[in-house]
Amino acid sequence: GVFAHLALLEARAYEAAVKQEETEQQEEKLARLKARVQELRLQRDKLRAQVEQQEKGQLGKEGALNPAQPSAQTVLEWKMKSLKAMLQIFYLTGISGKLTKQGVCFCISTAYEGTYLDFYHLDLLTKPEVQIYRHSIPIFIPLQQIAKKYLQTDIRRFLSVLSDHLNAYVGRRYQADQLQEHFSGQIEGTLQRNSLCNLLVFNYNVSSENKTFLFKVRLLYGDPCCSLPTEAVISST
Amino acid sequence: MDETVAEYIRRTVLKIPRDEIKPMLQKWGFLSEAQLETVNFHQIKENISQDVVQLCEENSTDIKQAAVLDIIYNNIYPNKRIWSVYQMSKTGEETEYFDLTDFKKKFKRRLRSALKNVTINFREYEDNAIWIRIAWGTPYKKPNQYKTSYVVYHSQTPYVFISASVLRSNLPLLCQALVVASNYHDIHEMELRSHSLNSLKDIVFKRYSQNFQTYCPRPLTERNVAPETVDLRIIQENRNEKERIRRLNQQVFGDGPQPKIEFAQYKLETMFKSDPKMHVLDKKEPFRCLVKFSSPHLLESLKSLAPAGMADAPLSPLLTCIPQKARNYFKIREKKGLLPGSFVSP
Repeated sequence: GVFAHLALLEARAYEAAVKQEETEQQEEKLARLKARVQELRLQRDKLRAQVEQQEKGQLGKEGALNPAQPSAQTVLEWKMKSLKAMLQIFYLTGISGKLTKQGVCFCISTAYEGTYLDFYHLDLLTKPEVQIYRHSIPIFIPLQQIAKKYLQTDIRRFLSVLSDHLNAYVGRRYQADQLQEHFSGQIEGTLQRNSLCNLLVFNYNVSSENKTFLFKVRLLYGDPCCSLPTEAVISST
Repeated sequence: MDETVAEYIRRTVLKIPRDEIKPMLQKWGFLSEAQLETVNFHQIKENISQDVVQLCEENSTDIKQAAVLDIIYNNIYPNKRIWSVYQMSKTGEETEYFDLTDFKKKFKRRLRSALKNVTINFREYEDNAIWIRIAWGTPYKKPNQYKTSYVVYHSQTPYVFISASVLRSNLPLLCQALVVASNYHDIHEMELRSHSLNSLKDIVFKRYSQNFQTYCPRPLTERNVAPETVDLRIIQENRNEKERIRRLNQQVFGDGPQPKIEFAQYKLETMFKSDPKMHVLDKKEPFRCLVKFSSPHLLESLKSLAPAGMADAPLSPLLTCIPQKARNYFKIREKKGLLPGSFVSP
């Protein structure tokens, strides 16, 4: 009776103590592992920082110590920079081109005395022979004539002549626009011009000593590749 | 002032939208500012036009001056007429020094030598466009101011834009006068017609957007990309296909707005291909058929066909070649004969 009861209680107490020890042990283990994780994290961060520093130092160090073997990154950057500079040069010369599937596409930029003006495109096919596929050259520029003379035989000359025509045209047009804009007070009536701006006819007045004189001017631009007139006829009206 | 002139001015003013009447009269410059101040431009158009006619009476307007108002109206509203494009050709290669006074003189002289009863007016615009208005008469009748032809010509170009009126019989005479005045030898009508004069100019002067590949270091214009929904629950299944269509469309049509034409007409003279057992058209004659595409803006609608999923990309070159070939009337014949003016069907 009582002995058995006491034995039961003892057994129960023993079990509970064992359990408690187990939980305590587990908690200890958990705490230990958590601390370990923290340690490892710290170590990883330290190593990462070290690697980064090494990489940076690597570039500097290797650049100075081993100029014959730059890293792939620097080579690529240098290549891109020189290509961009090349394209900029082409753009500044006024004629740049890009290879296309069927041929090449040229871009002719124009300017007059430091002012950049319009740009025009020319899409060429190279097979079976060099021919113009499409373009945005103004219709009054004698493109077909220039092409007939030079496109098949000397493409450099073709582009050069075409560029001269275009630059001269925009130069003349720019000058005529500037004339209308800045001297509108002195020009009587309208400025008569044409699409190519190679013939300008207008009346203008000149005042001196309280008297105004009216003149009629006829400017003829004989050279299509030149932006200055070849003939000027001034008469008093 | 002549009764006919008064009536003509009255009718011309009635055509103008009410809010535009005063600005247009100012552009005309024939009535002084003081005179224009006396008109109430808020009354009904009938009354406005009567007042304007009254003022013109005071100034003794003649028909040539009245015609200038008509040119101004047509220049601001050119889309009310249908325009055809004509191309001139010449054999010489000398540089042209287009002299406007010379051109006008030659044109008038040529036209008047054949037909005395014509009213001819010229008006030049800032974009080097010369507008010519011709009212036609007959050897026995005065010019009919309501039957006018309009010509728009840009100097030193081989293209002329003509909006002929009903009297097509005067067209050869008009063409001849143009050729002589502009120092060309020949003129023929192109297969290109539209209501939008500016679009026709864009097509033949190559001012429309063509997609040129260049390295030009210019900032790319912002393309209007519709904002993508960032809702991650929506997945674009056909993203690759959509991108392919967009790329092809851009290659063909470019990025900018398309020239505005209202129709494209294809006259088929091809053989009908059917099952021989069906015994259709045994005589083996060409199956005559006319296909006409119409739209308020045909090229824009063609451009949106593939992205809308209504047609496969790339579109047929018969449709996409319209701006480049500068034509919207085609004749399609069998592959065997490559006749001039025909387009071989693919």
